[in-house]
Amino acid sequence: MRDVIVIGAGGGGPVVAKELAQRGLSVLLLEAGPRHANPRAEWTHFENDANNPLTGFLRFGPADRGKPAWFRELPQNSFLFQVSGVGGTTQHYFANCPRAYPGAFAGYDKPDRNAYDTAHLFPFRYEELVPYFEWVEATLPVQTAAMGKKERTFFDGCETLGIPVQTTKTTLSDSFRPQENAILQPGGAAGRTRDLTQLRFPLATGCTFCGYCLQGCMEPIQAPRNLVAKRSTDNSYIPMALTADAWSPSGTSITLIADAFATQLLTETRNGELVATGVTWRIGATGERHTETAQVIVLAAGTTETPRLWLNSGLPNPNDWVGRGYTDHFFDFVVGLFDKDTDSSKGPASAARCDFPGRGGLENIGLGPALQAFTMQLTSSGSRGFYTNGRGMTGPWDGPAGRPIGPELKDALMNGVNRLLNILVITDDDVEAQNRVLLSALPGDEHGPVPKVIFRAGNRTARTQANREFLVRKATALLRGAGARKVFRLDWAPLILHVQSTMRMGLAPEDSVLDADAEARWVKRLFIADNSALANALGGPNPTLTTQALATRTAEKIFQRYFGGDPWVGRESPVVSTDNAVTQAVIARGL
Amino acid sequence: MATDDLSRRTFLARIGVLGASITVLPHCGEPDTGITTAQLSLGALVDLLRPVLAELSRDTWNGFVAFNVPGRDAYSRAQGTPRHERGGIEAGGTDALIANLDRFLPFPDELVRPAAAALVTALRDLPLPLAGGLLGDLLGLSIVTIRLVEDAVRFILENDNTTPLSLPVALLLNYVATVVSPASLNGAFVSPFARLSFADKARAMEMIETSLPQLVAVVDAQIPQPLKASVSGLLQLLGGALHELAAFGSLGESRQFDPRTRGLTGRPVGWQLTGYLPDNQTGDGWDDLIGYYQDRREVSDA
Repeated sequence: MRDVIVIGAGGGGPVVAKELAQRGLSVLLLEAGPRHANPRAEWTHFENDANNPLTGFLRFGPADRGKPAWFRELPQNSFLFQVSGVGGTTQHYFANCPRAYPGAFAGYDKPDRNAYDTAHLFPFRYEELVPYFEWVEATLPVQTAAMGKKERTFFDGCETLGIPVQTTKTTLSDSFRPQENAILQPGGAAGRTRDLTQLRFPLATGCTFCGYCLQGCMEPIQAPRNLVAKRSTDNSYIPMALTADAWSPSGTSITLIADAFATQLLTETRNGELVATGVTWRIGATGERHTETAQVIVLAAGTTETPRLWLNSGLPNPNDWVGRGYTDHFFDFVVGLFDKDTDSSKGPASAARCDFPGRGGLENIGLGPALQAFTMQLTSSGSRGFYTNGRGMTGPWDGPAGRPIGPELKDALMNGVNRLLNILVITDDDVEAQNRVLLSALPGDEHGPVPKVIFRAGNRTARTQANREFLVRKATALLRGAGARKVFRLDWAPLILHVQSTMRMGLAPEDSVLDADAEARWVKRLFIADNSALANALGGPNPTLTTQALATRTAEKIFQRYFGGDPWVGRESPVVSTDNAVTQAVIARGL
Repeated sequence: MATDDLSRRTFLARIGVLGASITVLPHCGEPDTGITTAQLSLGALVDLLRPVLAELSRDTWNGFVAFNVPGRDAYSRAQGTPRHERGGIEAGGTDALIANLDRFLPFPDELVRPAAAALVTALRDLPLPLAGGLLGDLLGLSIVTIRLVEDAVRFILENDNTTPLSLPVALLLNYVATVVSPASLNGAFVSPFARLSFADKARAMEMIETSLPQLVAVVDAQIPQPLKASVSGLLQLLGGALHELAAFGSLGESRQFDPRTRGLTGRPVGWQLTGYLPDNQTGDGWDDLIGYYQDRREVSDA
C-alpha cells in the first residue's frame, strides 16, 4: 500500500507529489500519456509534428503516435485543447503566472466586490492563499519577463490606454505589465544570438527566445532537465519529485508510471462513510490492468478527465454538480496587421499582459504560420463578408467579426507572420451549470465511456458576455494605439484551453463537489488537485499558478489530516527547482 | 420515370457519385465499358466504385482547400480567385486534411457508420427534385444500375474496416453544393462542390456550419437513440473543424517533413507565404531580447 496515489502528471498532480515526497511519504504518480524523457530525440520545433491535434507529439492521445487520438464528444463548434504526457498542458503552456484576482475569493470587501462571480467565490480569503502563491513562485521560480519586439509593440499600445503599469504580484486595479512567468530569464548568449554554437548550456542559460513555447521547451541545448527555460512541470516539479531523497533531508523519491490511464477509483465504506482506497489503471502498450491501494488518493487528471473518472467509477453525485460549472475564460482573439516588424513568432510566446479586475485580461500571443492560420479560422461568426451565423458583431475592429476566408485570409497571412500582433481576450466568465462534462452516449473506448463537453457559447450570462465585449474593445484600442493598420476580430468558437471548476470547491454544499480543503464532500481520503478544483474562473487570470498554489495547500491539508504532520508553508523556506542538489541528482540519474 | 427512381437518381447525382462513375458504369453512353448490367454484381460494383469514390473525395477536398487558401491551381481559378503564388493545394493541405479525417479524427465507427448510412437514406428522401435536364446523361442509366450503385455506396460507407470520414463528408459537401447551385451537377472536375464559385462555396459552408435544419432533422430521424443528438453535434463540430484543419494543414510543414530524419525536404509553402524563418531553419534561439520594461526585473507585494 502506498501512502498516496496521484492520478495525472499535469499542472497540479506533480505539485502534490513533490510536496508530499519532500515530507517522506511514499507517492505513486500515474500519467495516462507518454513521458518525454529525451525531448531532443523525440521532439522537433515543427508545428504539425508538435501540435497537430490528432497526430502531434503534444496531442491528447496514447503514447504510440500510430494510434488515433482519444475521442471526446464535442456537440458544438469548439476545440478542446488537451495534452497528454508528463507535464500535461504545461508542456505547451506559455508559463504565465498571474495570481488570481482577490475579488474571486470570500471576504473580499473592496468597492468593486460586486464585479465578480459572487455566487461562486472561493471558500476562503485571498490572503490565505498568498503564502502558497509565494511558495510556488519561489519553487518554479516565477520571474518578471524580458521584452522582445512583440512585447515592445504591445506596450506601445498599452501606453495609449490610460492605465498604469502594475508593479506588484497581486493585481489591484486596471493595469498593464510584463508577465510574471515561470521561465528562467535569458542569461549569457540567450536572447542575443541565433548561433547554435552559442546557444548551448552553460554558454546560454534560460530562455533563448526561440519562439517555440507551444511546441514544448527544450532550451538551451544540453541544459539539465531542471534547468530548461520553461518551468512546465516536466522541467520543474517532476525532476524534484523524482529526486526528493537527494535534496530533502526527509525526502523519498516518487514512483512515476507513464502510459498508465486510470480507469477506476476504488472505494469502501468505513464507519458509515465512503472512503477512497485505491486505483485501477491500464497500461497503453500492453493493455494490462493494475490495481494499487493507498491511504489517500489525489485526482488530478484534468478538468475534463477528472469528472469522467469520477462518473465512470460510479462515485456519488447527489447534487448533480460533478462535471458542471465548466469555465473556459470565453476566449476571443483579435489580430492586428502592421506595416512594421513585430517579430510575433519569436521569443517567449506571451510575455506581456493587461489586467482589468472584474472583467478579465489581455495578453499577447506569438505563433508560427500554421497555428496562426488555425486561430484565424476558429469562429462562431462564420466567414466574414458571406455569413455570420447570427453573430458577426461590428465595432471598432475592421468589418464584422468572423474568419477571413480565401483571398482575405491569404492576404492577411502574406502580410507576414512577423508583422502582426495577436491578442488573446481572457474573459472572467461565470460558473454556469449548463457548461459541463458528462458521459457520452457514444460507445466508450478502452478506458470506459468517454466525456462529452458541452458549452453554450451563445447563451453565456449577461456579465460574461459584457466582460468579453469590454475586453475586445480594449484589445482593439491597444492594437490601434500600437499602430495596427487593420484589426480582425475572430469571435472565437469555444477554445477550451483555460479550463476550470468542473469539480469546484465552494462555500455551498448545494453547488460544489469539494470542501474548502479540496477533499471530496462525499468520498473521504479523496482530494482533487487540478484546475477542476478551482471555485471559479479566478476573475480571468491564467489558472496554472493558482492551481499549483492550491495544490500545495491541499498537500499540506492531506499531510495534516491523514498523516499527523505539521504545515510547512510560512514556516520553512522553499527549495527552488533549479537548486544545485536537484541538478546534480538529475544528471547523476540520467533524468 | 417513377418518383422513387428519380429520387435515387437525383440523390446519387447530387452527392457526385453518378457523375464521377459515369465512365465505369454500363449503359450510360460513352465510353463503352464492355460491362452490362446483367454482369454487375454488388461486389464487382463495389470494386469498381471504390477508386471512383476516392477520386471524388479528393476532388471535393481540393475544392475545399482552394476555398480556404487559394493558389495558382485550377480549383482556385475555377472558383474565380486565381493567385500568382502557391496555395493550400500545393502546400499539401488536401493530403493533410484527408489523412486527419480518415486516419486520426477519432470519431468512433459506431457513430460514423450510422451517420453515413443515414446520410444515404435521408438525403435521398429530401424533397429537393432537380430539373430533368440537369441530369443529362445520368438519365440514361438503368434503374437496376442506379439501385446497385446506391447499394454499393452504402456498402462502402458501412463496411470498410476503417471508416473513411472524408468520403461521407465530401458527399455531404457535394449534396449541399447542388442545393446551392443545381448547375454544379455538370462541368469541369468530378465534384459538384469543386465546381462552385467562391461565393457559392461560402453559401454551401454556411449550410453545413449552421446545420441546415432541414438536413439535420432528416438525418437525426434515421439515427437510433442514444446517438440521435450526436449527429447534429458532429455536423456543427465539423463545420468549424474543416476550416481549421484545412488552414493548419495548408500553412504547416507536413508535406516537406521527413519523419525519418525529423527534418525538412524543402521550404514549406506556408513559410514562404508568411515570411517565416527566411533561413528555413527552426533554430534554437533569436537575437530578439530588447531588455526589461522600465528596467524592472522583479516585483513584490512587500
